[in-house]
Amino acid sequence: MKTDLASALHWQQHEPALDAGLAPVLLLHGFASSTALNWDATGWVRDLTAAGRRVLTIDLLGHGESHAPLETDAYAPSRLRAAILEALALAGARPREAGDPASGVDLVGYSLGSRLVWELTAERPDLINRAVLGGMSGEDPLADFDLDAADRFLADASAIAHESTASLMTLMQLAPGANTPALLRLVAAIKQERFEPGASVPSRPLLFVTGDRDVLATGTTQLAALAADTETLWLPARSHTNAVSSRVFKQAAIEFLGR
Amino acid sequence: MAEISFPLPDLGEGLLEATVLEWLVKVGDQVERNQPFVEVETTKSSVELPSPIAGIVLTLHGEPGDVVLVDTPLITFVVADDSAGIVGTVPQEAAPKRRVRLSAVLDED
Repeated sequence: MKTDLASALHWQQHEPALDAGLAPVLLLHGFASSTALNWDATGWVRDLTAAGRRVLTIDLLGHGESHAPLETDAYAPSRLRAAILEALALAGARPREAGDPASGVDLVGYSLGSRLVWELTAERPDLINRAVLGGMSGEDPLADFDLDAADRFLADASAIAHESTASLMTLMQLAPGANTPALLRLVAAIKQERFEPGASVPSRPLLFVTGDRDVLATGTTQLAALAADTETLWLPARSHTNAVSSRVFKQAAIEFLGR
Repeated sequence: MAEISFPLPDLGEGLLEATVLEWLVKVGDQVERNQPFVEVETTKSSVELPSPIAGIVLTLHGEPGDVVLVDTPLITFVVADDSAGIVGTVPQEAAPKRRVRLSAVLDED
């Protein structure tokens, strides 16, 4: 049966002026962010297209210009991944073929986007060439989010005792254009489908990139130890918020995906 | 030659300041229009800022880690005189005026 999961997503293709003849690169942004904030304003789309890569960007459900459905089930990570794979197929991505450098897809994720990249790469080694995992956490900080405390906070500004819930709530409130009710539905769906990195491990080459002051992305070393073919880059003096625009990060990703 | 300074632009959402993360150019560099010249961080996100003009970098106002206020100078360029507008404004890109010869060119044939 044909589904239309991808029609709820806002996705865009960005063509290079000079095509390097390599596989397209899909960018998946983080929680409470968007294509515009995570990849456009930080220079990623410009630098990748300047390197001759075709780029596909997708706003996750409830983010950016994508739909924000009211039912929590729509936000299940497994459904998000199915929708992303549909969008990839619609964009013309095709399985890897030996000797054809334009076949397959390369992935770059940040934060929650990296969780999806990990799972997609584990599920579809036939499609995905290489993946870059930025600001990735081994223990999903969203899964321990205190939804009741968040609801009380939104109702009457009651203080949130749980530390990571409080900092994620601040992130949502600060993020330009963030749809807080949709983000809370996504959190509820993630609590039902927690990230289990050991359940399915990518076999394709991975590059982990994490700021050395990132307190949200814990477990980079343990994640890298699970997979067979990995490299890790630590960005000096960078946090979860400001690692994404780092030039060193972008250059390392472009080099890694061009191999 | 003329000097043109650009202030930190309003990055939206009522932000009053940003922190310099990294300069992407150095003093003496030739910078093209729209080339990113600095990476800055606000409380909400980090971004690269593109240069509004082409010119040679004269001064970078602040070190990595310094806080710069919106509307205070961020970078100063040296530009050719004919491309400089009033200091602090983006020069207009008017099309060059074309001279039209009114006298007929006699055909030698």
